[in-house]
Amino acid sequence: MKNAQVKIEFRNVSKTFIQKETQKVHVLNNINLSVYENEFLVILGPGQSGKTTLLRIVGGLESPTTGEVALDGREITAPGPDRSMVFQTYSLFPWRTVLGNVEAGLRFKGMAKQQRRQIAKKYIELVGLNGFETAFPHQLSGGMKQRVGIARAYANKPVVLLLDEPFGQLDAQTRMLMEKEIIRIWEEEKGTVVFVTNNIDEAIYLGDRIVILEGKLPGRISGEYKVNLPRPREHTDIEFLKLRKKIFNSTELIL
Amino acid sequence: MALQTRATTIPNRPQPPRRLIKFLFSALGNRYFLYTLSVVMFLAFWDLAAVKKVLGNFLPRPIEVLSQLLSLNTEPLASKTLFEHLWASIHRVLIGWAIGVSIAVPLGIFMGLNPYVRAIVKPVFDLLKPMPPISWISLSILWFGLGEESKVFIIAIGSFVPCILNSYNGIRLIDPALYDAARMMGANRRQEIIEVGFFASAPAIFAGLQISLSIAWSCVLAAELVGSRSGMGFIIILGMNQSSPALIIAGMVVIAITACLISVLMDRLEKMVCPWKRELPQ
Repeated sequence: MKNAQVKIEFRNVSKTFIQKETQKVHVLNNINLSVYENEFLVILGPGQSGKTTLLRIVGGLESPTTGEVALDGREITAPGPDRSMVFQTYSLFPWRTVLGNVEAGLRFKGMAKQQRRQIAKKYIELVGLNGFETAFPHQLSGGMKQRVGIARAYANKPVVLLLDEPFGQLDAQTRMLMEKEIIRIWEEEKGTVVFVTNNIDEAIYLGDRIVILEGKLPGRISGEYKVNLPRPREHTDIEFLKLRKKIFNSTELIL
Repeated sequence: MALQTRATTIPNRPQPPRRLIKFLFSALGNRYFLYTLSVVMFLAFWDLAAVKKVLGNFLPRPIEVLSQLLSLNTEPLASKTLFEHLWASIHRVLIGWAIGVSIAVPLGIFMGLNPYVRAIVKPVFDLLKPMPPISWISLSILWFGLGEESKVFIIAIGSFVPCILNSYNGIRLIDPALYDAARMMGANRRQEIIEVGFFASAPAIFAGLQISLSIAWSCVLAAELVGSRSGMGFIIILGMNQSSPALIIAGMVVIAITACLISVLMDRLEKMVCPWKRELPQ
């Protein structure tokens, strides 16, 4: 990633939540991080390490207590159509069909029906859900729901895709299949991806680069690993396992 | 093998007792047979109790109730047929319910959306909430007299409470992640409220409408028991005054059937209006 352009930049970002008016929870401590253009960055950390908060700050759903996060040099203050998020709990609109969910963002923009149908159909096909356009989310399995989540995120044509433990609720087999799928889709669509997970294997399988958030609040960056393995990667590849061991030994991740 | 040869050598003669048992068992396994059996047995016990005068002279036989029902259609009571009495009650319910609901739903929604509205409305509402609507009858008659207004008032009060509660909770209990999803897709505040607020709370609001309609239906009966010349409640009171238990039970049957139809209708309507499944926040 030498000479690559910086897409997102965290400068001394700290976040403190105030609970019940008096109790303060220090979630992130002095985060400095650059995410490069077209990079697949994985933020790896155990539960309670502030990684979701980090992602929500990029999304504009939270604002940092101190410091700032900039996208293309402009400070992030609110959600915007240049960023899309895929949620751990899917957060699909249960009252909309697959098609309705995927085109929701385009509808908010006020795009004409014909045009947004066309775009939505393209992304439904990209995630492999053709034939399910008229299904409601409750009729889909977890893996299929998250496919809708991914199609919905891409349909908005974001500059940055944010994924918050998107496969955390899936069973092991579906999870591995979805990891393969997200790489396939990313290679087709390109763009910058920030992927949050607590799973070392997932991190190594997906990331160009892995940033470790240390456990126990407040979260802080405790390591960074480049993953120079060619894709598609194999979980049992010797280099894969070496890196896995290295990350495992050097961090206090309890996974 | 041995069994098989015997079966073929001995002619398959009918064995009545065994076949009867078999038939009984298969009948007992049939749901609809059991339903019928249940109803028939209930009617039989009722009839027996009536014939043996277990409850004195005031338990009519089922057949008497049926003939009373049929004659109500042809012989008017207080110059109204059964259908006209039923319509009088339904008419009141619809007006009272419409008034109660059209105030409660917006108020509940605003309580859910706006903390200031909530802070102003909720304390008073919490005070009024536990009062049974029927306890308003005396006041309502003092305020509005014995006419339609007092009955409509009771019904409106009865419909109001479950409706405001469901609308308020429907908005309040929306999964915040749905708002996040909408915001991340570029929804502005207005689009957020329409897309997420409206749709996510619709099943809860609809449930409130359903509950309040069934409460409205019991309120109208209570209201009609006091000083009324029409309606199903009036038929029941008339039955008491005339010492005619058949008339009372006939009225009760009609009331129950109507309540049943209302709830079936509302269920159908809900499936049409909200075809998706409700997902509660985790």
